[in-house]
Amino acid sequence: MNIVVCVKQVPDTATERKLRSDDKTLDRDAVDGVINELDEYAVEEALRLKEAHGGEVTVLTMGPAKAADTIRKALAMGADKAVHLVDDALAGSDALSTSYALAQALGRVGFDVVVLGSESTDARTGVLAAMLAERLGVPQLSQARKVEVNGSAVTIERVTDYGYDRVEASLPAVVSVVEKINEPRYPSFKGIMAAKKKPVETLGAADLEADAGQLGLAGAWSEVVDFAVAPPRAAGTVVKDEGDGGAKAAEFLASKKFI
Amino acid sequence: MDFTLPETALAVQRGIADVCSRYDMGYWERCEAEKRWPDEVWADLAKGGWLGLGVPEEYGGGGQGLLEMAVATETLAASGSAGGSAFTYVLTPGFGALTLSRHGTPEQKGTLLPRLATGELETCFALTEPDAGSNSLAISTFARQDGAEYVVNGQKIWITGVQRATWMMLVTRTIPAEEAKPRTNGMTVFLVNVPEAVEKGQLSYRPIPKMGANTTPSNMVFFDDLRVPAANVVGEVHGGAVVLWDILNPERILLGASALGGAEVALRVGVEYARQREVFGRPIGANQAIAFPLAQVQAKIELARLMLYKAAWLFDQGLPCGTESNIAKLTASQAAWEAADAAFQTHGGMAYSLEYPVARLLTDARIGKIAPVTEELLLNYVATQVLGLPRSF
Repeated sequence: MNIVVCVKQVPDTATERKLRSDDKTLDRDAVDGVINELDEYAVEEALRLKEAHGGEVTVLTMGPAKAADTIRKALAMGADKAVHLVDDALAGSDALSTSYALAQALGRVGFDVVVLGSESTDARTGVLAAMLAERLGVPQLSQARKVEVNGSAVTIERVTDYGYDRVEASLPAVVSVVEKINEPRYPSFKGIMAAKKKPVETLGAADLEADAGQLGLAGAWSEVVDFAVAPPRAAGTVVKDEGDGGAKAAEFLASKKFI
Repeated sequence: MDFTLPETALAVQRGIADVCSRYDMGYWERCEAEKRWPDEVWADLAKGGWLGLGVPEEYGGGGQGLLEMAVATETLAASGSAGGSAFTYVLTPGFGALTLSRHGTPEQKGTLLPRLATGELETCFALTEPDAGSNSLAISTFARQDGAEYVVNGQKIWITGVQRATWMMLVTRTIPAEEAKPRTNGMTVFLVNVPEAVEKGQLSYRPIPKMGANTTPSNMVFFDDLRVPAANVVGEVHGGAVVLWDILNPERILLGASALGGAEVALRVGVEYARQREVFGRPIGANQAIAFPLAQVQAKIELARLMLYKAAWLFDQGLPCGTESNIAKLTASQAAWEAADAAFQTHGGMAYSLEYPVARLLTDARIGKIAPVTEELLLNYVATQVLGLPRSF
């Protein structure tokens, strides 16, 4: 089975993240990059699929040169090879232009199943899997907490507010996963050393045979007009219970239209 | 001269940091408070092959040297485990695996190394005695040959990790110290199966209440007609001193590495507090009285690290490393103590609260100045062996 796992390098959530003042995109140079947490679960699931069904795991990422660290981490966990989409022309892509670039790359790489985290910790749009599936013309199975492949069918347990749905589709397909799905493995010593020798193919915008107008900041459909630092939290309202605490709390919630 | 770390050491740094990133400072504080072994970290280190770093590849290990092991210990300690807890990396990967890799018989290597590499078997090391602390050659625990076996009697103190160890690297005299010529002759190292010996009533131990480093208990150990097969001798009978130096030098380097990591975490905690804590309208770190001791510690950490990596590198090259190991241990332990003290002072009154991590870091750092050998003995080594000053004993 040809398994592709999409990973994204995101700013370490433990550090202070900033937007650039010029083009109002995330300042990726100013922060330490780490693998998007949910993508670690995606890599783990991709490796488990390979262990169960054979085949190959290819890591696909789009990002600046330093995203190579994230690729190495996925390779150290056990993926076989990687494709790194890196080009200044891709900088500033929004979800729509990212999905376009990744879909073009996936057309080149080929796949039976694409696995990715259901959202990233930086932009948190959570729409990439859906956009990717639509562009590729294959089924999308989202928010998976369990994935099973049986012949040409893939079945997942999709997390919902009330439990889970069983969702089945035919391969090829796109599967997005949530953190309940597994416990990602740590790269082992041998894994880290072996990762240095695994092939990483670098692709530029020109390799994608893409419509350049749909890539990068120029191709983005959304635009950051302005940004401001979140105001500090204001002091809360304290409800003192003098026998009517419940009523007062309810009144407060009603005034804020929570109930 | 090339100061870049080899790729293998960088891989260790990255890999161990990855494992440790899932265990915060609170985790190590709880282990210490509950006096329990960090089982979860141990299991993760085992899974990734990190415990078998120093075991040759043919026995299922990583085939790396002491430099990689030192980097592993430093990274583990720096993540928050600090000096005391990094003992978890020294007992089995160091004392057991590294020693047997160099001096074990083919049988010992074949049966033990693969299982030491996975952490399935653990080891401890028994040298120190109540009447022979730093004067290792004066030990009196005696192994008398009886056919194909040796019969051991005596007692040891400050033996850490006996509770978890399947095998003890036991250092004995097979020629009494007063009859040995030279004094290094007549030492023999044995592998002792601890659970079996306890079962037979030939070995018993009693934990010593300690002021810190409680993730690994330290014990008094008693040998009462302990019978050990001759096949369990590590190295040569009477020639144990050679094995001993290859345990003691790595021990200095690994415990130096753990002190170094302890210094790094203490400095980080101190700097963070100096940055955040505001008094008189500015962060206290803006005051040079606070900033300079922290900067001084940074300088000492850098120096200690250079010495430590050099000593480990010499050991891996098979070159003499006694002087460098001793100096590395001395400087790393001093850096650890000064870092913890500076972090403590930076915290002001809050330092004394157990709700902050500095008290544990200070307690942990203190041990480096007395164990496995005192600062004075290290200085004495430099004075007599390097400077050629007359001996006081």
